Amino acid sequence: MRVVVSFLCVLVVAVAAHAQSGVGVEVDDVVDNRVSTDPNEQFQLHGSLELRVKLTGKDLEKALAARVLVKDAKDDKGNSLVPSSTSPPDFFPREYNSGTLQVGLRQPSRAASSVVVKGTVELYVPGRDPNASLKIEKALAKLDAPLSSKSLKTAKLEITPLSRNGYAEMLKSRKVSEKDIEKLRAEAKTQGVSEQEVELAIGLAKAFEGMDTDLPEHAVVFSGKKSDFDRIFRLEILGADGNPIHVTSRGTSTRGESSVMTLQPSEAPPANASLQLMLLTDKSRVSFPFELKVQLP
Amino acid sequence: MKKMIALVLVLSFSIAASAQQKIDVAVKQVNDRRSKGFFAELVISLELPKIQSSEVAASRVLVSAAVDETGRDLIDREAQEPRLEPNQRLGMKGPPMPAQVSLTLKNPDRRATKVKEVRGEIELFMPAKDANSVAEIAKFVTMSGKALSHKALKANGVEISLLTAAQVDAEKKRRAEEKRKEYTEAGYDGESIATMITSLLESLLTIEENELVVRVKDPNKRIQQINYVDAAGEVKQVMMREDEGLVRLSTWEGKPQPDWKLRVSMQTPKNTARYAFALNDIPLP
Repeated sequence: MRVVVSFLCVLVVAVAAHAQSGVGVEVDDVVDNRVSTDPNEQFQLHGSLELRVKLTGKDLEKALAARVLVKDAKDDKGNSLVPSSTSPPDFFPREYNSGTLQVGLRQPSRAASSVVVKGTVELYVPGRDPNASLKIEKALAKLDAPLSSKSLKTAKLEITPLSRNGYAEMLKSRKVSEKDIEKLRAEAKTQGVSEQEVELAIGLAKAFEGMDTDLPEHAVVFSGKKSDFDRIFRLEILGADGNPIHVTSRGTSTRGESSVMTLQPSEAPPANASLQLMLLTDKSRVSFPFELKVQLP
Repeated sequence: MKKMIALVLVLSFSIAASAQQKIDVAVKQVNDRRSKGFFAELVISLELPKIQSSEVAASRVLVSAAVDETGRDLIDREAQEPRLEPNQRLGMKGPPMPAQVSLTLKNPDRRATKVKEVRGEIELFMPAKDANSVAEIAKFVTMSGKALSHKALKANGVEISLLTAAQVDAEKKRRAEEKRKEYTEAGYDGESIATMITSLLESLLTIEENELVVRVKDPNKRIQQINYVDAAGEVKQVMMREDEGLVRLSTWEGKPQPDWKLRVSMQTPKNTARYAFALNDIPLP
């Protein structure tokens, strides 16, 4: 009898532990944004299914950010709703939008009444990896040259803080040239892209180029490779007191493999300012599988 | 009595006939935004092939009947009557385009595959049809303290005066005095009244740097929109906010400059047209 009781105890403990670990996914809102298509329209709008999900579970406590990676999504009529875009979403800070995450899928069938989504929730828990957080002293002391630090070398990251002149030079090098346009036209032709779409793409590229020009006062700019910047979850400029300086806006623009990150601090950073980098490393990421059934509105 | 009834019938018929002038419409897009949260709605965009977009400054669609194939009534009976929506494509460069309008309904049943019927009236605001549709007053910021003069304002019975800072202050004092009297009559003690008046003066007609205050008299409700136009001809969106009987004008684009114009667009019987429309079996996405 004692053996049976202790076996049961072990089982109960095991089940409870399993229930406590892991992350649950719950539907917070569903928007089935259905849009008709017009075959005569040059630019087609497409409908979508937008899910807002909230995460539950103890493992969230130490997570700074999370994202949902969808592996499979089907409506109950058997249509796949997995978006054609293959690039995974960025990690989304837990402190935004009350910790909810957006999941974008393709428009389900009107005749469908539910959808099943399978995938993983990935948490970013920098505390799990000592190499996920780096501090670079006096990072803005020498501009237009790659930052030199042992930790950056270990992380295989190359970042260059830019001066205003350096930024201007970099913009010049990124300008859409006639040669680029010719190359784009040639590629588009081989892929059967229409003339109008090519013109739109060129117009957009030029418009984005125009957005790059103004550099506000106190702005801090870093250049680097896109693949390196993709591994940076957050970059903070530390003030004289060692705390992050408030940044009013931040953005990254990418052209090909070259990226530029612009931060707009609310005050001029001190000359000896340090940088703190939070990196997305393998050890700092934890994945949890999930399966979710969603009733369509 | 019979004559009277016949006359009423004839009158009703003639009014109805003028409103029932039919217009050609084609469905441009259907957006069924289904959600248990906010902004659940069915928006149908219609194209008016015989009317140029450049002629229409604003439009609205008044739906009298809309039902999906399951029989669900798609009209939101609690919603306010739609307002005229400015034509966002106005001023866009490129080849002439037909006008577009849109109507908003409740979501159809998910099982429905089409909207069985939708009918109503399309109201178009077409300023070019009346010489008194628009009043443009040059260098209006220099005209503080007096009524703005323009023949189109006069023709529509509209009076607009730009208030000086001194006039705004005087208005504040006048209203504070009115309130003081009201509080006294209500039996408040002097100290309470003083506190309330101080608090009132802090909030009453507190004008932001980019704001202008105007007194507007528009007994026929003709004003449709007010804009600023800068020296280069660029039209600036102006927000109008009524405050204690006065109107505050503001724009995201800074303080109005001395060389800017004030543009007042007005609806008149000549420039506002209503057309009946009816559509059947609109496929749902």
